Amino acid sequence: MLATYAPLFLLFAVAAVLVLGLFFATPLLGAKVPPNAEKMLPFECGAETTGSRHVKLSVKFYMTAILFVVFDVEAIFIYPWAIQFRTLGWVGLATMTGFLATLALALVYCWKKGALEWEH
Amino acid sequence: MGILLATSPLLIVALGALLVMLVEAFAPKLQRGELAWATAVTLVGGALASASVWMVGTVGIPGAEALAPYLLTDRFALFFDFTICVGAALAALLAGGYLPEHGIERGEFYVLLLWSTLGAMMLAGAGDLLSLFIGLETLSLGVYAMTAFRRASPRSTEAAMKYFLLGSFAAALLLYGGALLYGATGHTDLAGIGQRIAEGTASPVLLLVATALIVAGLAFKVSAVPFHAWTPDAYEGAPTPATAFMAVVVKSAAFAMMLRVLTVALGAKATSSWGAGWSTVLAPIAVATMTYANLVAGRQSSVKRMLAYSSIAHAGYVLVGVAATVRSSGAEAQAAVLFYLLAYTVSTAGAFGALVLAGSRGAESVSYEDLAGLGRRHPAVALPFALFLFSLAGVPPTAGFFGKFYLFRAAMYAEGSFRWLVVIALLNSVVGAYYYLRVLVFMYMREPAPGAPIAKPMKSAYVTAALVACALLVLALGLAPGASLDLALLAPARG
Repeated sequence: MLATYAPLFLLFAVAAVLVLGLFFATPLLGAKVPPNAEKMLPFECGAETTGSRHVKLSVKFYMTAILFVVFDVEAIFIYPWAIQFRTLGWVGLATMTGFLATLALALVYCWKKGALEWEH
Repeated sequence: MGILLATSPLLIVALGALLVMLVEAFAPKLQRGELAWATAVTLVGGALASASVWMVGTVGIPGAEALAPYLLTDRFALFFDFTICVGAALAALLAGGYLPEHGIERGEFYVLLLWSTLGAMMLAGAGDLLSLFIGLETLSLGVYAMTAFRRASPRSTEAAMKYFLLGSFAAALLLYGGALLYGATGHTDLAGIGQRIAEGTASPVLLLVATALIVAGLAFKVSAVPFHAWTPDAYEGAPTPATAFMAVVVKSAAFAMMLRVLTVALGAKATSSWGAGWSTVLAPIAVATMTYANLVAGRQSSVKRMLAYSSIAHAGYVLVGVAATVRSSGAEAQAAVLFYLLAYTVSTAGAFGALVLAGSRGAESVSYEDLAGLGRRHPAVALPFALFLFSLAGVPPTAGFFGKFYLFRAAMYAEGSFRWLVVIALLNSVVGAYYYLRVLVFMYMREPAPGAPIAKPMKSAYVTAALVACALLVLALGLAPGASLDLALLAPARG
């Protein structure tokens, strides 16, 4: 049982040796350069960072994403019902109608509240 | 048709929520206060419906079993539905006065409140881990938003953030525990899990870890020490009606979940194979909760924060009863818990209501100094406040006295030794009286410092109505407690 995972453990071991080895070998092998301003940058060999980190995203992106997730997840409920449509019969139909009516009312509410408007 | 009758308390609240939601969207010019009435009427309707279903008899309804085990309509669920609806209706009335006074009048509050109440009722009736989790999230998501309702206030946002993060964490613990239980037993319905554990085929190690995770998650939700850290901040930062809702509805629903999961799925008989099971864990948690909350509550300078710690302390008292349900005489302990939660609901909602009434726009009354001299200046506010504080302290003839009396009696006579727990709980009640009476001292024996701003009570028919209802219920439960206790005795948790 455990032997099945032997290659995986080997992979972990190689990864650990490689990472730790490189980490400790670099200061030993590399040239000794005293720290300077350029050296102390977070990304000394990357591109210069520009602009602010605090970019404000409009709330309407969140609104759209949340509405999408909500209605997407609700739609999933319809699939099992559709497969069992004949077995569930009229009770199933009535239940699903109630469910969809509630969902439709929620859509009406979102619409009326302006959650679907992109431009205000 | 049986299904419709059996689930009528939930259906009424759901339909009311849909209606309030649409009315609020399509008639924005409507007085928001009318939404408060509509919400309260819906919730009273839900409470009456659960009482009617109780009268009809839960067993006799054809088709009522169709939803089992996802949604059970036993008397346990109906009793909690009643308590939850009463507590939520009181919170809605408080909101009807509080929101316009403090300029955060938006109809969404009532919609959130109604949907959260529906989640709480689902939680009380859930007999399966899946529906339990859906109920829990339906309850919690609305409350997070209600906590953040004072958008302009950083405290409100901070409270909601803390509540949300720790609430999600607790839900994750519960979910992990539930997954392990499913792994150990192959069932998600609580009765099935209990049966498999009783058969003794499930792995004890998995069960132990699962029970530990579930007890920790439940302790988060009922805010028991050491999982209480979010409570004071969340209760203080939230608008007071939302605080009242959290203190009564969320707490009742969490205890309903706790009782059903612990007694049905992880019941006493089932867990006997590895010691006394969760009751040995709950007893120290109860002691820590009562003692810590009572000691810290006395040091608060804000009355709202004191009431938050008081609600933690009351969770500790209830945990004494929950721990005692493990014994053979557990039915009495459980009935005492149900009665206690009803008594606690009306007393706490009343106390927060009086606090709402004592403040006004721009000067929310939160500190002891704000209440100085209130008894002389505004006796109509101070008198009910005193009544609710007496009830919380457990002074006869109020509801709180009999709540504590039944709870401690049940734990006292429980088979096996819970006497030491009762002694600690009694000592704690004495400590608790100190900070409740301190409010009375400020209201009746102190005068505001010269030059200090004098808090002016607001005027609101809604809050007044809520206070009158609370006062009547506190006195009724205190003068004739036997009737409701007899009903609670008929409502054991089943799978």
